[in-house]
Amino acid sequence: MGNLYGDNGGVVQEHQQNSDFVNYCNKMQGNLVADMSNCGSGDLRARKNGFKANETEAKPVNGCLKNCSTNSTTCQQAKGKVCPNSSQALLTPAKKLKELAEEHTTKTSFEEVPLHTACLTYLGFYLLMILGYINQLLFVPKVAKEENRDGYVTLYDAFESFYSRYVYRRVRDCWNRPICSVPGDEVTLKDRVTKDYGWSFQFTGTETRCLNLGSYNYLGFADAKGPCAEKSEKTAREMGLAMTSSRVELGTTQLHLDLEQLTARYLGVEDAIVFGMGFATNALNLPSLISPGCLVLSDEKNHASIILGLRLSGATTKVFKHNNMRDLERVLRHNVVHGNPKAGGKPWKKILILVEGVFSMEGSIVRLPEIIALKKKYKAYLYLDEAHSIGAMGPNGGGAVDYFGVDPNDVDILMGTFTKSFGSAGGYIAGSKRLIDYLRTNSHAHCYASSMSPPIAQQIYTSMSMIMGLDGTDTGRQKINQLARNTRYFRRRLAQMGVITYGHEDSPVVPMLVYLFSKIGAVVRTLTTRHIAVVGVGFPATPIMEGRIRYCLSAAHTKEQLDYALDVIDEISDTLGLKYSRKPREPNPIEY
Amino acid sequence: MLQNIIDFCNYWWFRYLMVTELYMVEKWERVTIHVIFAVLFCLFWYFNYSVLLSFTGNILGITPISTIIDQQGSKIA
Ligand SMILES: Cc1ncc(COP(=O)(O)O)c(C=O)c1O
Repeated sequence: MGNLYGDNGGVVQEHQQNSDFVNYCNKMQGNLVADMSNCGSGDLRARKNGFKANETEAKPVNGCLKNCSTNSTTCQQAKGKVCPNSSQALLTPAKKLKELAEEHTTKTSFEEVPLHTACLTYLGFYLLMILGYINQLLFVPKVAKEENRDGYVTLYDAFESFYSRYVYRRVRDCWNRPICSVPGDEVTLKDRVTKDYGWSFQFTGTETRCLNLGSYNYLGFADAKGPCAEKSEKTAREMGLAMTSSRVELGTTQLHLDLEQLTARYLGVEDAIVFGMGFATNALNLPSLISPGCLVLSDEKNHASIILGLRLSGATTKVFKHNNMRDLERVLRHNVVHGNPKAGGKPWKKILILVEGVFSMEGSIVRLPEIIALKKKYKAYLYLDEAHSIGAMGPNGGGAVDYFGVDPNDVDILMGTFTKSFGSAGGYIAGSKRLIDYLRTNSHAHCYASSMSPPIAQQIYTSMSMIMGLDGTDTGRQKINQLARNTRYFRRRLAQMGVITYGHEDSPVVPMLVYLFSKIGAVVRTLTTRHIAVVGVGFPATPIMEGRIRYCLSAAHTKEQLDYALDVIDEISDTLGLKYSRKPREPNPIEY
Repeated sequence: MLQNIIDFCNYWWFRYLMVTELYMVEKWERVTIHVIFAVLFCLFWYFNYSVLLSFTGNILGITPISTIIDQQGSKIA
């Protein structure tokens, strides 16, 4: 709530590049590293805090240089590609880091909002506020009156409830839409109408079958049929639906143990622990890892579960600008040098860097190799939330760690959820055996929360084995490839249309900026009439200025489905005026 | 032809409502806002006409044409 305007800061000073164009140039040169000066420099601008600024931070990691020389030969063989041998990233030489920073800059795009749109967005927001106040003055809504409370202060009274009554309520039909089918490649929406401008809804009894571009079903494992569903059904028949006990009491079965082992193997670390809920994995484990007197450096776009966990822990939190290594290093260095001001400048108990693999609202990917280098330089711990990246990123579906080919042991705490790519529920934490043993004795989510339901665990187990290819087929690999291809295709087609999308070109979360509340409403409504279900995101999940439509791609989508969606999006972005982008557009048709 | 013009106007009216966020408000609120807009416009206009115009005229030493006409009129009479 507090940072109505402040949030843009981190985004605005990110970089604006035409990634397609740069890639195209790179291919021409047969060189993986973007050489900016050769690529039509007139159109390509590196922002102040873009890669130029990062050059300074790509200093060699102290003490690492020696090791590098022994290992650099393997890296040179791999030349620019991410080495399949993950141990090399541990010894990343300075030059490599610089290349990585440049690569990140070319692949990530945060185009700035045109000035007139920014002004109009604020103007519109003020208009809505004025209307809200007039409305509230003239007609006090029933919900705003708290009855039979003489002598009490009001229980619900905040800007938030004003906001949800007079801004959100007007386009409320675009959210909380009940569905009545599996959220696979298609989803069935239950139709409803409102006769009083969003205060209440009535079901019409009809249904709409829509193409599903909204669910986090990255690998398409959310399915009511197929091997996963069958095995889960079998497990449910054998073991029931609930363990009705916590893990440390009578809630652990062989299935849970197997799942933990498989997860550890999948991630390439020593051990793992699983929990029944992803949100709680963050919110309840962070307090057992950190305490008052510790310092946490948290990315400004981190998920609510992380923020809640940090507040619960009582540790001091410093927020750094989204994916901005320079800012992170500045905060890190300052705190390593000056220590904890409350303790008279004594060193912090621990310093923890907290980032996500793929940011679910920005569609950006963490700059993992650079963060690992920083973390080693300043001896801080790293907690990586792979909720959206696990399964969806990397050649083997191993998340951001796999995508960058870094050593998973370099990340001290690997966290992730099973709700997305695995089509199930729950979360995990993986890392060294000592870490997991510590959590087994200290974690609230392990000791006090009920253990994971067996069919849920079975679904994860089956889907994970499929991704790893343990079922003897290459279904998993095909899904990973399909997702990567869908992502590239969809993002490039959107860029060609001229709409503004945020994030990294390989991230399956694709936010399309529409800025205004009305446009969020209009886009979601229009797309629903064209049988496409998408999610609109506005304040408070994003800064007020940056309303957006979020598409989530899935391996379940076929090219035909995406083509249909893209054609419709193209059409409506003309009629609704969504083509804000001023970047040069790719003139040639885009290949799938 | 007429239909085309109506369609064109409707479309841009819709776009106008969209960028001002008036697309998603109730009808009476839309009317209220437009009335407020109109009142503001009139106030500005009146202010500009009565205050700003004579003020700038004074500063720049320009005699407003209406005064000249008045003077001429009085001479003739
Ligand atoms: C980064 C991140 N962490 C944690 C969670 C919570 O996971 P779950 O939905 O499984 O509770 C989410 C969910 O959206 C998330 O995006």
